[in-house]
Amino acid sequence: MMGDEEIHALNDVSIKINEGEFTSIVGASGSGKSTMMNIIGLLDLPTAGIYTLDGINTTEMSDDDLSHYRNQKIGFVFQSFHLLPKSSALKNVEMPMQYASAYNKALTDEGIRQMALDTLDKVGLSSRVHHLPNELSGGQRQRVAIARALVNNPKILLADEPTGALDSKTSEEILTLFEDLNKQGVTVIIVTHDQNIAKRCKRILRMSDGLIQEDKI
Amino acid sequence: MILKKIIINSFEALVENKLRSMLTMLGMIIGVSAVILLVSVGTGAKRYITNEFESLGTNMILLQPGRTDKDSRMGPPVSSSKGKFLLSDVEALKRYATSLSAVSGVMFGAGTVKNELGTNNINILGSNEEFVKIFNMIIIQGTYITKEDDDSGKRVVVLGYNVKKNLFADGTALGKLVKINDSEHRVIGIIKPTGDKMGFNVDDMVFIPTKSALRLFNTDRLFGIRAAAKSRNGLDDAVKDITAILKERHNGEEDFTIITQVTMLESMNTILNMLTYALGAIALISMLVGGIGIMNIMLVSVTERTKEIGIRRAVGARRSDILKQFIIEAVVISVSGGLIGILISEIIAYTLHYFFPGFDMRPPFWIIPPAFFLSFFTGLGFGVWPARKAAHIQTIDALRYE
Repeated sequence: MMGDEEIHALNDVSIKINEGEFTSIVGASGSGKSTMMNIIGLLDLPTAGIYTLDGINTTEMSDDDLSHYRNQKIGFVFQSFHLLPKSSALKNVEMPMQYASAYNKALTDEGIRQMALDTLDKVGLSSRVHHLPNELSGGQRQRVAIARALVNNPKILLADEPTGALDSKTSEEILTLFEDLNKQGVTVIIVTHDQNIAKRCKRILRMSDGLIQEDKI
Repeated sequence: MILKKIIINSFEALVENKLRSMLTMLGMIIGVSAVILLVSVGTGAKRYITNEFESLGTNMILLQPGRTDKDSRMGPPVSSSKGKFLLSDVEALKRYATSLSAVSGVMFGAGTVKNELGTNNINILGSNEEFVKIFNMIIIQGTYITKEDDDSGKRVVVLGYNVKKNLFADGTALGKLVKINDSEHRVIGIIKPTGDKMGFNVDDMVFIPTKSALRLFNTDRLFGIRAAAKSRNGLDDAVKDITAILKERHNGEEDFTIITQVTMLESMNTILNMLTYALGAIALISMLVGGIGIMNIMLVSVTERTKEIGIRRAVGARRSDILKQFIIEAVVISVSGGLIGILISEIIAYTLHYFFPGFDMRPPFWIIPPAFFLSFFTGLGFGVWPARKAAHIQTIDALRYE
């Protein structure tokens, strides 16, 4: 259970995101939404205050523990996909599990492969697992990235402008996928400046100047 | 990530960047090949020279008139005005030095030998009947100089194989007359083709009795004395015997130098070992250059793959995982290069051996493990810095890197 997730961030702001929520963080560039995302994603530490994820205060964690937490609790989806260009879709999806295998000896090569294939199937890419990223369309690449984010069963799916590089039709497909995943219980946080995407979310955190200006459910 | 997986990934990364990997490896290939080949040249030279010495018989003792201080670096002993060897010295050694199996005075000089078919410039060596035993020479036709020939200073000659070929072609030489420095000598023997021995080509020499040689060069001084100890273990006794006998004959003065094959081999080995180490050290420089090449490429690779590092960190790679990944890539490159280098140097050495069997420079087997570990540790050593750089890139910055 994610239970009480409190985020004290930026200009003395305090928010709490519960498990299973479908939240968007919106704001213009410079509003602090990227910093917010980096802190939520454990890529950056707040200079003051605390961030509690899944009941654990993360601000005093070691770098290794933060890596482990990112690996286990957070799945990232980026605007420009951030896939390894020379690795196939399957290898990209396997990567987080390979890092997880350092902690979990039960993860065998075969197990990792099977889980990666299952996850790719879940995002509708079972027919293109051996393709390199540059052999896939933008939408397909983002699906690979989503599969990679999901493969370790994270608590949070953290998406930074996930449709920014996609056309409207593909964007719609990706958003539908997020909605489906949310229905299956995944907590989704989308960081965007696009109001239309924000409207699809159940909760909107509107930011500017490092403050939460509006918290609309 | 487990080590095995990182190693597999590193090999995949190598294959993905074939050209760059090959170019990077080239430094290591050349470095390792250079180490192996140069050490092989050193050990080959040592083996060659040792064999040459051994083929002369290790019981051999060289006596030169004049004293050469062993500690000084004045060069090899040569005749000096100080001491001299006469035939009577040889006689005395023959009679009293019981530890010797053979003794011969030698007279040495350049000259010409001719018959109606042609003229040859040759080296002339005067010796007695025992010389053939000291130098392990084999007579294929006729006989060597006999005691009788030497005692009476007969004008007889034993020809080296090339001299015989040049003067008589395939015809009979035994019993024929040849002119050595215008003095007629009868051919009594032919020596088996032998090649170089002690720096002289036996095949291009002629051998005449000591007395004949002294007469030919108009002197009573011998060039030196050659002797053989009865056994290798008896060498020290033989040296003592000779010293005592000759000192007594030379008014108590040790005005001569004794060189045994053992001392020669020892000093030769010292020099040749030094040569091998020096060659190896020179080759190490190319390893160093190869290592720096790897470091350069790894640094470029770290910068080029900043985004990859960011992605890996974001999905859960620890600093140590990134560190391991880049060190292992460097080691995989250097070890692959090292293995290729070992293979290439073996191929080169064995090919050379095939075409020039005379000089055996096949690499000694003991060189392979050090060469391998050298490439391993070069990769490790030069991979650490780029890998540390990679591991300390900030994840957020890396993700933004274009």
